[in-house]
Amino acid sequence: MVSKARYPLVWAIALGMLFPFVVMLTTALKPPGEVFTLPPRLLPEQWEFGNFRAALEAMPFWRYLGNTLLVSSLCVVGSLVSCPLVAYSLAKLRWPGRNLVLALILGSMMLPPQVTLVPLYLLWNKLGLVGTYFPLIVPSFLGTPFLIFMLRQFLVGVPDALLDAARLDGASEFRVYWRIVLPLARPALATVAVFQFVWTWTDFLNPLIYLSDTSQYTLSVGLYAFFSEHGVDWGPLMAASVMFTLPALIIFLLGQRYFVEGIATQGIK
Amino acid sequence: MPRRSQTSRRQLRLGLAFASPWLIGFVALVLGPIAASGYYSFTDFNLFQSPTFVGVDNYTAMLDDDRFATALFNTLYLTVVGVPLALLLSLGFALALNSRVRGLPLYRAIVYLPTIIPIVVSVYVWRWLLNAQYGYLNRILGFLHLPQPSWLEDPAFTKPAVVLIGLWMVGGTTVIFLAALKDVPRETFEAALVDGAGPWQRFRAVTWPAISPVTLFQLIVGLITSLQLFTQPYLLAQTRLNAAAGGPDDSLLTYGMYVYQNAFVFLKMGYASALAWVLFLITVAITAVLMLSSRKWVHYGQ
Amino acid sequence: MRRRFLGALAAGALVAALGACGGGDEASGGKTEVVFSYLWAGEEAAALEKIVADFNASQDKITVKGVSSPDFQKQLTSMSGAQGSFDISDHFGSGVGAWASKGILTPLDDFIKADGYDTKDFPAAAMSQMVYQGKTYSMPIALHTQMLLYNKKLYAEAGLAGPPKTTEEWAEQIAKLTKRGADGTITQLGYANAEINTSFTTLGFMFGGSWDDQSGAATPANPGNVAGLNFYTDNIPGKYGVEQVRKFTSGFGEYASAQNAFYTGKAATIIDGEWQPVSIKKFAPTLEWGVAPLPYPSAQPNLTGTTQVTTSTLFIPRNAKHPKEAWEFMKYLLAKDAMTKFSLALGNLPARTSLVDDPQYKALPQFDAWLGALKSANARSLASSPWAAQYSSDLALAFDDIAQQRKAPNDGLAGVAQKAKSYAP
Repeated sequence: MVSKARYPLVWAIALGMLFPFVVMLTTALKPPGEVFTLPPRLLPEQWEFGNFRAALEAMPFWRYLGNTLLVSSLCVVGSLVSCPLVAYSLAKLRWPGRNLVLALILGSMMLPPQVTLVPLYLLWNKLGLVGTYFPLIVPSFLGTPFLIFMLRQFLVGVPDALLDAARLDGASEFRVYWRIVLPLARPALATVAVFQFVWTWTDFLNPLIYLSDTSQYTLSVGLYAFFSEHGVDWGPLMAASVMFTLPALIIFLLGQRYFVEGIATQGIK
Repeated sequence: MPRRSQTSRRQLRLGLAFASPWLIGFVALVLGPIAASGYYSFTDFNLFQSPTFVGVDNYTAMLDDDRFATALFNTLYLTVVGVPLALLLSLGFALALNSRVRGLPLYRAIVYLPTIIPIVVSVYVWRWLLNAQYGYLNRILGFLHLPQPSWLEDPAFTKPAVVLIGLWMVGGTTVIFLAALKDVPRETFEAALVDGAGPWQRFRAVTWPAISPVTLFQLIVGLITSLQLFTQPYLLAQTRLNAAAGGPDDSLLTYGMYVYQNAFVFLKMGYASALAWVLFLITVAITAVLMLSSRKWVHYGQ
Repeated sequence: MRRRFLGALAAGALVAALGACGGGDEASGGKTEVVFSYLWAGEEAAALEKIVADFNASQDKITVKGVSSPDFQKQLTSMSGAQGSFDISDHFGSGVGAWASKGILTPLDDFIKADGYDTKDFPAAAMSQMVYQGKTYSMPIALHTQMLLYNKKLYAEAGLAGPPKTTEEWAEQIAKLTKRGADGTITQLGYANAEINTSFTTLGFMFGGSWDDQSGAATPANPGNVAGLNFYTDNIPGKYGVEQVRKFTSGFGEYASAQNAFYTGKAATIIDGEWQPVSIKKFAPTLEWGVAPLPYPSAQPNLTGTTQVTTSTLFIPRNAKHPKEAWEFMKYLLAKDAMTKFSLALGNLPARTSLVDDPQYKALPQFDAWLGALKSANARSLASSPWAAQYSSDLALAFDDIAQQRKAPNDGLAGVAQKAKSYAP
């Protein structure tokens, strides 16, 4: 099925992609004097496992992990609730204003976020919600342009005949959406879930700006505990980063099962 | 519920109902800040004191601003070079990973991993890998008897370094293409196989049209992201933590970085807003061209 | 539809509950809570938290809550609202003027007068950055000075007795300390910049230059500045070729690591700050190094002991909820005891001249050299003007052009003067 020639290519690509992570991992196992030596040495001469302990001690790791899991999971729920709904209206419903909404969604992505950062912050401030998780979670329940646009492109591939048949049978639009389209769109939905999770997981700026209590911080902000004016604690930082990356990686590995199926291959009955 | 009723009012209500989450969000959280930034672009505003109206001064000032021209050039370079390369590479990866290679889930995870690593950490690792004399990249190049440039100090090579890091991070794009490839109608594909079509013909006739809506998406989103690129060059050019620098000869000054500098370092939010809106217009123009061209190569439906 | 809706409602309720338990405002027990948001992180933050804990234990009217916020975008966004999320924070002295001119800092003069607070203990070079249009907007908590560090082993190898006193001597020593291979490839440089902006502005000061004048205008093209930069271009890229120098410096390791160019003997001399004793102890404990006052041009002995002073400062934002209590905490931090603890933990200089001779600082090797520089009559600093950030950015570009010999020093600096006309009066 697969030519033997493909394997070395795949391995080469995998190695190239993996190498920086390998550097991260080996750096996490090095004492301060050995980090980033010139000429570079990949493996540590002196294996230092204490960096992991130092990372766990430098910040309230488990608390931050819990905070990050909470925010990320809620954002995934939010995106899965809102984005398919909006994408469906843009892909499979014909209504006046559809193109306008699509243009607005695209357009809202095109303004550099640095200039809306402060007005948006002031808005949340006026609502009295700065210092809570609201500004981090509520937007995902109101649709994310990137994910909406992506889902829309997937949903246009769903055969209209399938939907029209169901409509003719008397199904309400929501039922068509819920029972026919969503199951077919599983790979795309899995993609949405994974993307949203990873974005929220790695988001640094929003938690930093909107959270005022260090006990509320997420892991990505906690990583900055290792940066200081005159130096970076590379060993513990890399150890913390490895531990930070693992949950997101696990979510990805779990979500992979759903990428395997296709949409239109389900065919028309 | 009325059956078979196709009145446009019903369709409108349905459309609005399904789109309501975004509509609410847009009116509540997006419209206000966007309008505010539009207003600020016509003012002299330092974030803290009341803005003073200056008309189009911010916009005309750009014409005299060398750094604006540099930022625009750098960003367009990164976009024109980086986006097509990233798309080609990620599509290539997706096609390679779409076959029944053993250990496939692992390879997919490896391709995606770079996007999960905190970007601060990965860019700092790359700074080490790109070290002109001792970094692994140049060691490999030296092994292959290729020239070893000073990636981070030579203004001619800093942008290629950014492109390289961008190519390393195509995992997200690859995953989207993978999902799209799963959508390729298997019957049509198998029919082509039976007809004796070779792999390239199969790709052109079956795969490419089937994934073209997603390809259009990737192209537009890639364009928008690249035009706003900030974090990687910001971290690469840093000599001190939290300092915003443009790199050797300002070669790493991207448009996004220049907007950031004006907004948060120089506290010239009015000018920064004007810069942002100019980028917006440029993005809209390029996207419009892409959308128009898409009629020729994007196939919706079966 | 209903299930989906209920699910969303439940999620919403959960979120609301989360919102409720996010961060309290007034501490219980009638104490006022003061939020101290600081840029420091890691070990430095830990040291700071100890001092905060001491303060909280020492009295029962105020509870200080320390928040480590390493990004100043957060500081700025918080200060833009009607009510801020913190009451006291830190910043760099050169940025005070910009923020003061925007009206976001609380002037401290009333507090100082009401308490009869003595500010004479703080050096003039530091206090000058705290003042904007006659009002004091922040107070220095730690200072930094620049000295000449030299590698004793490389000096011995080159047959040099000791560090230079004049810039001419230094130029001769740089020539002796620079080693090249037969093809011109540099293997050791007599001098390399630790950080180009600080090093070049310091060079300007060393040659009697000034980057701004009494009236607060920008003076980049001051002849002293040009002389300082000429010293660099004549002795390094001018002599050894800009390509070779760049090739060599591109192989330098990260500044704050064991691969620092000075620690590994790639650069024989550098100009750097007082955090080096702590840094060297951590990364290069076997390095044989010395520190000396910055050299002066032999024709201008009045410039002896020149150094550049930079400051870390404390400020109270205009929208602080509890400015009076924040001032009480600030006084505590500025008091000799807390300041000593803090500066020792960070390896920075204390901001009080009365602490300069404190024996506790002997614990840090050769630290007293930087302390002594504080007493110098030639301790200079950059003005804290409203346009300092943009000036600094334009200077950075010019410095890069000059170091890479794309422009001569007087050309590059004249270019900055031209640009500065649009934002500096």
